[in-house]
Amino acid sequence: MRRLRSLTDIAAPSTTEAGIPVAVPDGESHGLSHATSTGISNEKLAMWCFLGSECLLFGGLISTYLLYKDKAVRGPKPHELYAIPFTSVSSFVLLMSSLTMVLAVSAIQRGDQRALRAWIATTALLGATFISGQVYEFSVFLKEGMGFTTNAASSAFFTLTGFHGVHVTIGIVMLLSVLVLSLRGRLPQERAEAVEIVGLYWHFVDVVWILIFTVVYLIK
Amino acid sequence: MLGGRLRRLAPLAGAVVLLASGCAKKAPQTTLSPKGPEARTIANLINPVFLVAGVVFVLVLGGALFVAIKFRARDDDDFDAFPAQVHGNFKLEIGWTIVPAIILAVIGALTVSTIFTLSKKPVAGALHVQVTGQQWWWEYRYDLNNDGKFDEIVTANDLVIPEGRQIALTITSRDVIHSWWAPALNGKKDAVPNHRSPLTIQADHTGEFIGQCTEYCGLSHAQMRIKVISVSADEFTKWADNQQKPAANPTEQAAVEGWKVFAGQCTSCHRVNGLKDPSAPTKDFAYPNVVNQRAGVVPNLTHLMSRTTFAGATFDLRKSDDSADGRYCKALGIHWADKPADLTRCLNRVDLEAWLLDPPGRKPMAPGPAMSPASRGMPNLHLTGQQIDYLIAYLSTLK
Amino acid sequence: MSTTDAALPALPSGEPPRTTRPGGVFARPQTDTGWRSWVTTVDHKKLGIMYGTAALFFFVIGGGEALLIRIQLATPNGKLLSADLYNQVFTMHGTTMIFLVVMPIGAAFMNYLIPLQIGARDVAFPRLNAFGFWCFLFGGVMLNSSWLLGHAPDGGWFNYAPNSGVIFSPTHGIDFWNMGLLITGIASLTGAINLIVTVLNMRAPGMTMMKMPVFTWMALVTQFLLLFAIPVLTSAQFLLMFDRLFGANFFKTAQGGDPLLWEHLFWIFGHPEVYIMILPAFGVVSEIIPVFARKPLFGYPFMVFSGIAIGFMGWGVWAHHMFASGIGPISVAAFSMSTMFIAVPTGVKILNWLATMWGGKLKFSSPMLFSIGLVTMFTIGGLSGVTHAVAPADTQQTDTYYIVAHFHYVLFGGALFGFVGGWYFWWPKAFGYALNDTLGKVHFWLMLIGFNLTFGPMHILGLQGMPRRTYTYKNGYGFNFWNMVSTIGAFVITVSFLVLAYNILASRRKARKAQGVGTGRLTMAADPWDGRSLEWMLPSPTPAHNFDEVPVVRSLDEFWHRKYGEEEDGRLVRIAATEDVVQKGTNTDVHLPSPSYWPIVLAFGLPFIGYGLIYSLWFAVLGGICVVGGIYGWVMEPSVDPDAGHHDPEPGATEPEPSGEAAADEEAALVD
Repeated sequence: MRRLRSLTDIAAPSTTEAGIPVAVPDGESHGLSHATSTGISNEKLAMWCFLGSECLLFGGLISTYLLYKDKAVRGPKPHELYAIPFTSVSSFVLLMSSLTMVLAVSAIQRGDQRALRAWIATTALLGATFISGQVYEFSVFLKEGMGFTTNAASSAFFTLTGFHGVHVTIGIVMLLSVLVLSLRGRLPQERAEAVEIVGLYWHFVDVVWILIFTVVYLIK
Repeated sequence: MLGGRLRRLAPLAGAVVLLASGCAKKAPQTTLSPKGPEARTIANLINPVFLVAGVVFVLVLGGALFVAIKFRARDDDDFDAFPAQVHGNFKLEIGWTIVPAIILAVIGALTVSTIFTLSKKPVAGALHVQVTGQQWWWEYRYDLNNDGKFDEIVTANDLVIPEGRQIALTITSRDVIHSWWAPALNGKKDAVPNHRSPLTIQADHTGEFIGQCTEYCGLSHAQMRIKVISVSADEFTKWADNQQKPAANPTEQAAVEGWKVFAGQCTSCHRVNGLKDPSAPTKDFAYPNVVNQRAGVVPNLTHLMSRTTFAGATFDLRKSDDSADGRYCKALGIHWADKPADLTRCLNRVDLEAWLLDPPGRKPMAPGPAMSPASRGMPNLHLTGQQIDYLIAYLSTLK
Repeated sequence: MSTTDAALPALPSGEPPRTTRPGGVFARPQTDTGWRSWVTTVDHKKLGIMYGTAALFFFVIGGGEALLIRIQLATPNGKLLSADLYNQVFTMHGTTMIFLVVMPIGAAFMNYLIPLQIGARDVAFPRLNAFGFWCFLFGGVMLNSSWLLGHAPDGGWFNYAPNSGVIFSPTHGIDFWNMGLLITGIASLTGAINLIVTVLNMRAPGMTMMKMPVFTWMALVTQFLLLFAIPVLTSAQFLLMFDRLFGANFFKTAQGGDPLLWEHLFWIFGHPEVYIMILPAFGVVSEIIPVFARKPLFGYPFMVFSGIAIGFMGWGVWAHHMFASGIGPISVAAFSMSTMFIAVPTGVKILNWLATMWGGKLKFSSPMLFSIGLVTMFTIGGLSGVTHAVAPADTQQTDTYYIVAHFHYVLFGGALFGFVGGWYFWWPKAFGYALNDTLGKVHFWLMLIGFNLTFGPMHILGLQGMPRRTYTYKNGYGFNFWNMVSTIGAFVITVSFLVLAYNILASRRKARKAQGVGTGRLTMAADPWDGRSLEWMLPSPTPAHNFDEVPVVRSLDEFWHRKYGEEEDGRLVRIAATEDVVQKGTNTDVHLPSPSYWPIVLAFGLPFIGYGLIYSLWFAVLGGICVVGGIYGWVMEPSVDPDAGHHDPEPGATEPEPSGEAAADEEAALVD
């Protein structure tokens, strides 16, 4: 067992002339709250910035799809193949995963590890269900003659939804990491914010899907 | 009104700019010497702006110089005696926020009105021409009967227009983005594949106006040149009539041989309207059916000798040196090849032979393997000297 | 990381200090000297210096490319370069100068200075910072490796589709452009997140936003621009990459692809990019001018808000790059107006700098000369910029040398003059010795003259109708004389930078001799210029831990006001000797983020994924192993090494082992 620095040791050298605690680089903060200028932790602020940046990435891809959705020299256009009821169900599944994510965050804030694990696992499972649905949808489209390279509209469709799918998959990996950490006892109540930050990401991915579902699938 | 006064100062500003172009005695591609109403509209807008910019330039740089000299620390200064610690002056700063904003708003208003002036729909009597850019030459198709189809004349390199008449160009591209620009007549307009962009030009008088492609388009971007030839209305009619005629079969022996070479070597890509089969001179020639994407979309050669340039206007078709001959040839105008004696005398055989011998060696191109679907530019056909002589004899009949 | 090489004191409990470290790959490296310390460092100052050094390395390459261009164009029908080679050279010149020189020089200043100016120990995420640097370096090296692997990119830095498609650019050059810039994009994105969080969250007590130095403000605006601009370029690059490598149809015109999509996406990134390059330099001169005028910056709030205004308005002007593209008169008119008005906040800055100098006691040391260089040369670039905002005139000017002249006045006359001034200004702070001022002045005048000789005539060439990106021109167009002048100017610029190189070597040698330290560490006074902001409070060079004690900030120009007070009549009087208010750098009790191997491991894998996509997926497997291993190591290593050399005042106190599983790690996993 390695002996580690005490809390006071971290804080001590980071005081000021007047003894006011100040924010310190992440190497030392590991989820413990320090005084930051904004009152928001570095990690959470970083996630917000990252998500802001992601908005523009998806903005570019969604614009591309909207520009190209009717450009098909050969092969079917994506909106000729959509199975709205099926996609609605998988969208609903993803939407519900945001709810379970909220419950997971609330669980760790209460310090309820068992509930945390249950809700995190549920969230990951719902995410995986969504991804399976997407894989199935892609395979159906492929069978109906619309592959990635078939036409401009299909390229735009697969790129947009594929990027989103990759984001969900990364989210699932993050959820599983949270689960493992919790099982190994490394997620005490004080580190609830780590789960909250994963939650931010997860909600973002969910909101992006709502947008994609609306503008790509529902609006003709 | 400020705008009006600025406009009156325009010639002065123009003179300043011309002066700035200093040593250049001859700048045929200059933007500063408009030769048509569109280009003049632009010059009338920008010259006052150049003037304002010049005044601001003098004020700011002069001001900086003045401040630097006046407030420099002198050697005998007591360095610890500080200048007055001014932290700012709200009124002053608001002032120099608002004053430039007002100047810019005036320039902006004039700009917007000019933008809409220049993008007016073409007038009723305008001549409609479709301009198609491709690597690395320009194709011009004329709609003489105003039916919306650009099918009466298909030509390349030289855009022949009647003087004093508005020309409504529709600009597009077959491959990558190019930009069509004849600075004496108007600003440039990009040729974007899948887009058709309008541009109007008009030449005050007869003359030649040169330009070149101005959107980077690959290897020979520098050699994708533009030439607009403005002629009198009568000459234009004569030219247009001739352009619509199909080619006649050659009769002279060498030209007939050249006809065979052409039919065998050139027709995978090039077209000649009314081309007959050299082995059955009354029958239409059957063009080979090839996968080459350039089949039919390289310069149409039906009236090659009515042009003044070839290979994307990179080379002059007429002798162009400064010798007495050269000047004589240029003075002949667009109908230079009409008389056999003039044709023989003025044809720029040197460049034409060199081109036929090794096109990619004369102008950077990427023809790729023969007949490749991705071919860009004319390949080396490994013609013999004899074949080239025959070919030039044949091409000389395409007037 | 220890700040002292002295033996560790015995612990209060009487235990001897531990000398062994826990083994295994997850232990954090500890060296703070030698090459290992540079490879594993997470110190923002070392990373700043590394950004600067790498940028200079690329500057030599990009400058060489510029000279090739100028030699080719010195005379008509130049024969030095073929059309194909010329296209590669101008593409790489632009790409290199923008992404691998000006941006990273800005990053160098921001990394080094932001924590010092806001009174922080380091940036918010030190490992992420290191990762960003390695991404930039490896991305840049990968991009330039295309020279050795057959064919460099030849689509121009703007890489318009469909000319950048496989049919029209069949070599792998464009793929290198895509991959290399995607990787440097990761550097920009992680850097943006990191520095935004640093500025917003890690300010010293009392340092409200409106007490931050203007450089930090401009850096903050820059990072927000990067945060939102980079993903737009990334999305466009993915589309192009999918087209080229996987047969997608985004820019294949036969499939209905729209070339204007690329233009829009590229310029939505590309115009904010211009401000990304220039705003840090604005910040630099805003720091320098008050110091050498011995007056506070005139109109601090105006300077800040005009910077923010530029940042906002920078998003609404992109289509002025497309006035000739046929986007329709209404768009043209709207973008024409917005472009006009972005000149207003820029003009405010120029006039405020002049007003700062007005009534001052100007001392023309090298940093000040370069700053005035920026103010004047950028003004010229700004004025020619207004002439392009006049859209009809722009249709005559765009894609001619007039534009080349314009943006070199902005980026060379603006950004680079400012940055070079910044080098002379902060050189003592970073390296512990000052550059020779006389040589600095020689450098300045040569650079100013060379710059104007090179780029001034391009205005004339452009108005005479010489198009950009052409490998040759003919006789008889009136282009000959000014092209020759321009080429001569380029060589004068080259000489000016050789003077800088000599200055660095000579000044260092002289300082070593004067201090008698041999190859050891050079040190000098903390505050050589009578500076204003917090970094001058620190010893030169800055100690690893930055501040012995984080200062409590009461005013703008905090350090200045610790030295000088204002009397009732507004006159300044010294209230404290500089030596008494500067910190000694002797606090050894500061715990710093430990170095780490994993940022470089993780970044090292990325270009291999790129090579894999171009050549053979086996490379990608190798790269993937590197990346996955890097992420795993990153997450698993202790966030601090428990045995880093500082003493433990409360031995015996334990806490759960920190896992290092912080959000920052997850983000790092996301960005690749």
